[in-house]
Amino acid sequence: MVHRLSRRTFLRAAGATVCGAIAMPGCASDTGSPGAPGFRARAHPAADEWKNRIGLATGGDDPGRNARTAIEKLCGKDGVRTFVKDGDVVVVKPNIGWAQVPEMGATVDPAVVATVVGLCLEAGAAKVKVFDNSVGTDAKCYQFSGIEAAARQAGADVFLCARHRFRKVAFDDPRCKRLTEWPIYEDVLTADVLINVAIAKTHNLCYVTLCMKNLMGTQGGDRGKMHQELAQNLVDLNVTIRPTLNILDATRVMVAGGPSGGRKDQVVAARTVVVGTSSVTVDCWAADPANLPWPKGHHDLAAVEFVARGAEAGLGTADADKIEVSA
Amino acid sequence: MAKRKKPRHPLHVLRIISQLVFFGLFLVLLVSTALGTAVTARPWLAHVFLITDPLILVGMVLAGAFTTALLAALAVVALSLVLPRAYCGWICPLGTTMDIVDKLLFRKRDRSKNIAPRLRQVKYALLTVLLVLAVFRLGVFGWFDPLCIVTRSFGVAVYPMADHVAKTSLVAAEESGIGAAADIYDWAAGAGLFIRDANFKEGARGIGYPWSFTFAALLVAIVLAQAYQKRFWCRNLCPLGAMMGLLGSVSPLRPRVSDKCVACGACRKRCKVGAFEPADGQERYRCLVQECISCYACEREFCPVDAIHVGAAAPRVRPAPGVLPSRRAFLGSAATGAVFAPALLLDQRTRNKAETNPMLRPPGAVRPDTEFLSACVRCGECMRVCPTNALHPSGIENGIAGLWTPTFVFNIGYCEYFCGITKEDVEQERLDKPANLCGMVCPTGAIRQLTHAEKIAHKIGTAVFDHSRCLPWARGEECLTCEEQCPLPDKAISHRYEDVANLEWLAMPQPERHRYEELEAKESLTADERAELDAMPPKSKHIARPYVLRDRCTGCGTCENVCPLDGASGIRVERLQTREIRATSSGGP
Repeated sequence: MVHRLSRRTFLRAAGATVCGAIAMPGCASDTGSPGAPGFRARAHPAADEWKNRIGLATGGDDPGRNARTAIEKLCGKDGVRTFVKDGDVVVVKPNIGWAQVPEMGATVDPAVVATVVGLCLEAGAAKVKVFDNSVGTDAKCYQFSGIEAAARQAGADVFLCARHRFRKVAFDDPRCKRLTEWPIYEDVLTADVLINVAIAKTHNLCYVTLCMKNLMGTQGGDRGKMHQELAQNLVDLNVTIRPTLNILDATRVMVAGGPSGGRKDQVVAARTVVVGTSSVTVDCWAADPANLPWPKGHHDLAAVEFVARGAEAGLGTADADKIEVSA
Repeated sequence: MAKRKKPRHPLHVLRIISQLVFFGLFLVLLVSTALGTAVTARPWLAHVFLITDPLILVGMVLAGAFTTALLAALAVVALSLVLPRAYCGWICPLGTTMDIVDKLLFRKRDRSKNIAPRLRQVKYALLTVLLVLAVFRLGVFGWFDPLCIVTRSFGVAVYPMADHVAKTSLVAAEESGIGAAADIYDWAAGAGLFIRDANFKEGARGIGYPWSFTFAALLVAIVLAQAYQKRFWCRNLCPLGAMMGLLGSVSPLRPRVSDKCVACGACRKRCKVGAFEPADGQERYRCLVQECISCYACEREFCPVDAIHVGAAAPRVRPAPGVLPSRRAFLGSAATGAVFAPALLLDQRTRNKAETNPMLRPPGAVRPDTEFLSACVRCGECMRVCPTNALHPSGIENGIAGLWTPTFVFNIGYCEYFCGITKEDVEQERLDKPANLCGMVCPTGAIRQLTHAEKIAHKIGTAVFDHSRCLPWARGEECLTCEEQCPLPDKAISHRYEDVANLEWLAMPQPERHRYEELEAKESLTADERAELDAMPPKSKHIARPYVLRDRCTGCGTCENVCPLDGASGIRVERLQTREIRATSSGGP
């Protein structure tokens, strides 16, 4: 008996094979080969000169205005225009890490994010993207933090990270001592300007979490694996991914139970926003118990290892006296 | 083959429309409620097909696990009393799936010789066995209930698989530089067509479930069995169809064959469910109302002499001979059920393990676990709406009777702290609303609805450290990822700094270790000796070691989920101790 392959059978088999073939490579790898360049802040004449400088705004009931003021203190009357040019694509990376309402102080105040988005658009940005690779269930975090709604209303493009858009980045700077590569979200790598917006909280492993640790929200992969020698890993990350601006929202400071929080009585109003070009310098100022209401005896500045190591790597200063505060 | 077919009966056209509408509704609800999307406001959307299932209603009554929501099934009972098995022909998503596949694959296949009339009795036997098992408080009829099958197969297998293939294809296209693929991906994700992959452990793309291959394979087997007979499952096996057929016996509406019949057998050959057969001792055919699914194809399309009419007639309640199994066969199947039941219950694993080592059940699952096994119909609803993909069908770890009941796999997902409530609910402190999606969609109440306050207090299990794996415990490396991500406002994991063995020191050759200890013991060291000692790795490290605070821990599994170890986590959720179950408010004994 001769079996003949009918056209229908053949087409079906061929169709199935093609579909399979299309699907297979997608299953195989997550992130492509390493080597994409890390994000570098676009060169600004003052960037290095400003490494030890921070802008500070404090007081009042309007976190948005504090953010605007702090940026102006750092940059002068040009404000964010110093960095954002016409037609730029700007990524604003706030802490949207946890499913908590803003009053819990686990995520950045939505007004701060909305203000930063608005300033970038005013400065002529073609597009402002707002996202975070949340720690908790991301859609919940976006909703509970209030950032999704506020940023969208301010005109930003807000989206959840798509799992396949993390690109392996080689951590090849000689100052990287532990990490050799890590997947970083594509939009961070292609942006013209990256603005890192962190919140001030205590952290169970490294005393405090501020701007340097906030950058972990650009990372994919298994970030639990960042927690072994966390301080050095954070330096490696901050050496490789260099935000244009680092904004620390200390409108509220979570003084216990960090970083996830969930109790209002662990949140202290500090009504402060700090801005700098160096995440290390901003963190140095913010980690200092003299500047923010960290609980007595919780830590001293010298104990915050990621700041010390970040300064060693030349990213900023760990010396509180060297910080030029313009308030 | 037939010439141009005769025009369809208007009700035939209407029936096709109904099938497509209900199937469309089924798919839309399936897609829109996956992983809890859109369920928060209207949880019934997720289980409307299940709570209207009369077999679940009857089964739960027999199993002593009745809940009022199941009274919705009375609507379908009423339908069956008037239009026998119209549900099968007009509504059932599994039936429509079969019809669609039949049209695609078997349209030209001649199956007119495959009559096998006795096979159709199997469904009554199966129904009998399953209901007897229900009396013994085993909800295993969900294995065979068509709506459970279709929910499980589509929700826990077909949709996640299709989602995965669609995503991986688009991703592959995007990565090979086809820009449109990225746009399509974003559009589909924005339109909610994709299952949102929450930020699960690395490597996860799309969502997945153990057993999904089996669920898909069962669906494929059901639709491909049509190669032998159209609607093979509905004719011969479906226990719900059997029940509806029996209810329909009293219906006055049925196809009747008039005296005009010339016994050509065309109806028997073409009827989708083989509802026609020769009447005993007469030169004509008759229609078996228990088999007829009211598809309205026969009246105008099958009969060359227009002998079939669908309309009212005095019901002939007693089924025609050969429809039901013989009394002997009926008693035999009841006996089979009665033998299976204790066998399943006495299965060493079911009885012992359900009581002494129950699985990690969804929050609100009735306790003890033996009660859960009677109330759960294994439909998979809870698994497909779990927002972090943490609930999965279990295997036979707890005995055969526990097959496909939900259990947590914390390596994949975790029990979301703010599961079924919104930001507004939290801000306005509306915390008395149901807050566990799994409980909100459970059709039978096997998983009870918990308020947010109840849910966050509910103990699923307790996390315990595996000191041979946990990084700070086993290797002296810093970590505390579990503590960091414990979602409780008063964290159930705490730490303290301890001196722990430094593995680098232990790895030194023994003489060097001796030398180290020798120097260490000296009261004063010379500069050289100090340098020598400093050059060696220290004997111990001062690092933070985590501890579980058992009384606080609710067993949500976040810690197990986020542990950076590959493979088994260094912290795992175990079942509660009996006294802990007693202590928890929503637990029951």
